[in-house]
This record gives sequence, C-alpha cells and structure tokens, in this order.
Amino acid sequence: MKNAVLSVGAQFPEFKKKAVVSIEKGKEFYDISSEEIRSSGKWMVMFWWPKDFTFVCPTEIAEFNKHFQDFSDRDAILIGASTDSEFVHAAWRRDHDDLRGLQFPMLADTSKSLANELGILEAEEKIAYRATFIVDPQGIVRWTSIYDLNVGRSVKEVIRVLDALQTDELCPCNWQKGEATLTA
Amino acid sequence: MFATTNQDTAQQLLQVVGLSGSGLPAQLDKLASADARYLKDLKINVTNALDAATLNKKEAYLIGVAVAMNEKLGTLQSAFEKLATEAGATEKDIAETISCTSLMNANNVYYRFRHFVNKEFYTNAPAGIRMSIMANPVLGKEFFELLSLVVSALNGCEMCVTSHEEALLKHGTEPQRVADAVRLGAVVKSLVVVLA
Repeated sequence: MKNAVLSVGAQFPEFKKKAVVSIEKGKEFYDISSEEIRSSGKWMVMFWWPKDFTFVCPTEIAEFNKHFQDFSDRDAILIGASTDSEFVHAAWRRDHDDLRGLQFPMLADTSKSLANELGILEAEEKIAYRATFIVDPQGIVRWTSIYDLNVGRSVKEVIRVLDALQTDELCPCNWQKGEATLTA
Repeated sequence: MFATTNQDTAQQLLQVVGLSGSGLPAQLDKLASADARYLKDLKINVTNALDAATLNKKEAYLIGVAVAMNEKLGTLQSAFEKLATEAGATEKDIAETISCTSLMNANNVYYRFRHFVNKEFYTNAPAGIRMSIMANPVLGKEFFELLSLVVSALNGCEMCVTSHEEALLKHGTEPQRVADAVRLGAVVKSLVVVLA
C-alpha cells in the first residue's frame, strides 16, 4: 500500500464542506470553502483526527481550542476535521464537556474526498490519520505532519512552526549579503 | 465568518506580564483603539520570549525584574517580582536580582568609559567599585552572569557584553540559552517603552 501525503510546496486542494460552528439550535452548520479562506488573506491550520466519540481526540481537540487565541493572533484560521458527518460532529460537541465551547469549525468530510486528495486516509477503515497542515495566504502547503492513529500531537509545536514560517523574514537586519532586496 | 473580532489583545498582553486589572497605559491604548497590527506581534514576542525552552519560569521572570528595574518601570518590576515569587523565587533571589541590576549600572558606565577611551592609565588603574556579591551569588554564578549579560546588553557596554558572554560559555552555558536571555531582555524593553 502506498500513500502520498500532500506536502510542502503543493497547492492545498479546493473544497467546500459542511462544518459545525455552534451548538446553538439553527446556528449549528456553516459551509466552509477554500475560496472564502483564501479571500480572507489569512493562513490556515487544518488538523484532522480519525473518529469522533473516541478517547485521544477530545483531549487533543480541547488543547487546540485552548490555543485558539494564539492562532488568531497569528492571523491563522484554525479548522478541525474528520471524515464524520456534520450531524455526528454536532452530537459529539453537545455530548462532551470539553467540546461544547469550541471556537473553531469542525469540518465534515463525509465523502472523504478532501482526506483522499490530501493523501491521509488510512487503508483499512478509510479514516483520517492525525494530519496537520499549515497553509499560507496563497493557499500553498507550508508544513505537513502526519501521526499514526493513536499518537497525540503537540499544539505548541504547531504554533512554533507557524511562528517560524511567519517571523523575521522582513527585517533588513536579517538580510544576508548578496540576497535580493525584499519587496514586501 | 473569518474576520477577526477585536479580541482584547492589549489586556491579554498585560495579563502575560501580571499587570491585568489596571487600565491601559496611553501608548498601549493608542495601539488598541487603532487596532494596530503591531499589538499582536508584541504580545507574541513577549509570550514566546518568556516561554523560551532554555529558561525556566523563575529565571525568565527574574530577567523581567532586572529589565523593568533597569528601565525604571516600577509597576512592571513589581508585577514580575510577583510572578517570579509564584514561580519559586525567594526574597533573597529577588534582592540579588536588584543588586545585580544596580551593580551593572555602575559597571556598564565605568567599563564603557574605559573601553571608549582606551588609555593605559584608566585601563590599569583599579576600577574601585566594590562587587562582593559576585563572589558567591545565591542565584548561582551562571545565572548571575546571565543576568549581568542581559543588563549590560541593554546598557550598551561592549566590553561588559563580550566578557560576560565569554564567561558564560566557559561555564558551559549553551549559546541558545545566551541568545534566549538576551532576546527576552530586548523584548521586555520593547514592552517597557509602550507601557511607560
């Protein structure tokens, strides 16, 4: 079995998917598209988990949520995703104490088309690995990490990478001799 | 959907350095009301610098104490003292941080003069400044050196900066720790000028 995860330098695929953004009745769902994200001019951090209603996931998702402000300070849109449907997402969110206050959308890749294009589907069950993507405002993948189903992630590491991608590049103090002048 | 709401970055920034609850200082208020992009940079810089992997919390806050004192911002100094205490610093640790900052203020001026003028008489004459606290610091020699380096970097004494940096490397300090400490000093100073 061979899988090719979309990696650094690739264009992030176009998508339009249902997402759960609230537990308030009538306001639960929202259609998120790659187009809207691109036109916002922001970075995107999209992280995937295998299945709703499992144990490692809520801890990790709550940890991402705890750092929601850190992502927004860095002009990054945070999106959580799995191959569960929007109704499963909504039910899980209502059901679990740590998930009711989530501030980021939970994307439902019910058809698995996005996970498939990203190359992060596990062969047996066709569920997503714990993949994380950092995508720049131009829609280019700048970082990919992929963990096996049972391995939790470090959110701080994601923030560190985002910082490294965003920091220092503009200051003339960091220009090396012979480099072209920046035109930012 | 993804427009940023004006979350209160300024208040969060004050919270990071233990100053929440007070009103916004004038410069900070100007940045907040214009929704200035820099405010987020400043908050991220301060948070990351305090969170450097090579410095523990107590060390980071004590460096904050030294910088706030060196830059004469009493409110920030007290806030850092409180955070340092919560992170395990004793009264003696804080008193020594204050002593070190004061002593460096003498040394930085005098040795900078010596270095600028570079004449035999001044170079050979004893400095005549008592510095007995350097002998056996409660903070440990290595951290005392690190504090001395940060304060000297703020005060721009080339001779002090180069000699404390060399002393640190001889102690076995990793260059990354030296860089993290000086960055913290630099970033806290950038905060001071906004709070003052």
